[in-house]
Amino acid sequence: MTAPRDADSLLVERIRRGEGEAWDDLIARYEGRLLAFVESRLGRRGPSEDIVQESFVGFLNSLPNYDGRRPLESYLFSICAYKLTDHLRREGRRPAVPISSASDTSGDWQVSDSARRASSIARSSERKQLEEKAIEGALREQIDRWREKAEWTKLMCAELLFVRGWANKDVAEQLSITEQQVANYKFDFIARLRTLIKRQDLSEEVFPELYADG
Amino acid sequence: MPRLTQADLQAYLDEALSPAEMAAIEAELRKQPELLKQLAAINARRDAGVHSVGEIWRRQRLSCPSREQLGSYVLGALDGGMAEYVEFHLQKIGCRLCLANLEDLRRQQQENSETVKTRRTKYFQSTAGHLRRKKS
Repeated sequence: MTAPRDADSLLVERIRRGEGEAWDDLIARYEGRLLAFVESRLGRRGPSEDIVQESFVGFLNSLPNYDGRRPLESYLFSICAYKLTDHLRREGRRPAVPISSASDTSGDWQVSDSARRASSIARSSERKQLEEKAIEGALREQIDRWREKAEWTKLMCAELLFVRGWANKDVAEQLSITEQQVANYKFDFIARLRTLIKRQDLSEEVFPELYADG
Repeated sequence: MPRLTQADLQAYLDEALSPAEMAAIEAELRKQPELLKQLAAINARRDAGVHSVGEIWRRQRLSCPSREQLGSYVLGALDGGMAEYVEFHLQKIGCRLCLANLEDLRRQQQENSETVKTRRTKYFQSTAGHLRRKKS
């Protein structure tokens, strides 16, 4: 996504200095999409506006910790999602989910036999960010390439496989291509990511889905 | 539509699916309480730093159309391939943030400007006090 990050960075700087006009600008720029986000779930305008309002307060309170490299829109949506989730829980519509199941021995989280227990690979948050950044870069490069070449089917195929987690068969049916084509696209995509992981000395253990078949 | 996937549950935790799919998952959670264990397991895996390509893709919004492209989509001004992709992203991926942007863009064409102004003024007045505290 191409975000107007420079304009947002300047806006945030001005808000940090306490400029009311900048705060007004931010509200004008983002309140509509935040309201649409909340209202689509709640279906009621009044409580939805309250949640957007709480989100704006949450944003101002979290401003000292806001990392300006993160897109402002995504940050605002994440605060809004948090407030909405909290509201839905209080209404009983959304179940409370334990923050961690570290004590649960069911092992459901294991993606493949090659994946180890999550606790055994715990490591620093800096390391995790580095890994995510590396994969993000590789994905972005690949997605941009598909877009430039108008290879929309490949993009849709990868998105259904990895973002929605669909099986090859379902993807093939959705995109009206053969399962073999899906398998080929998937193979190429995974191979590219694996190469990058290897080149950057990243641990295979933290990307279990890329090694599930290997 | 395929059955509930692990990726769907991940997206559910992040409020990232379309409202209809979020509601469908909540209905499933009521029918199958054991799904809660799966959600907790996803949280545990995240805590430990195990990555999912799909989560990174979604979180970083790597294939989301820009707001300008969504605006062109609303106006029917996107070319064939891109228009088809945006439609796919909204309907099949169910990208909640793009759906919210799209709805906002549509509302901008319909909403009374006085209503919008009143709402924004209310937001400003109810939050500006927090801004001033940051200044001092």
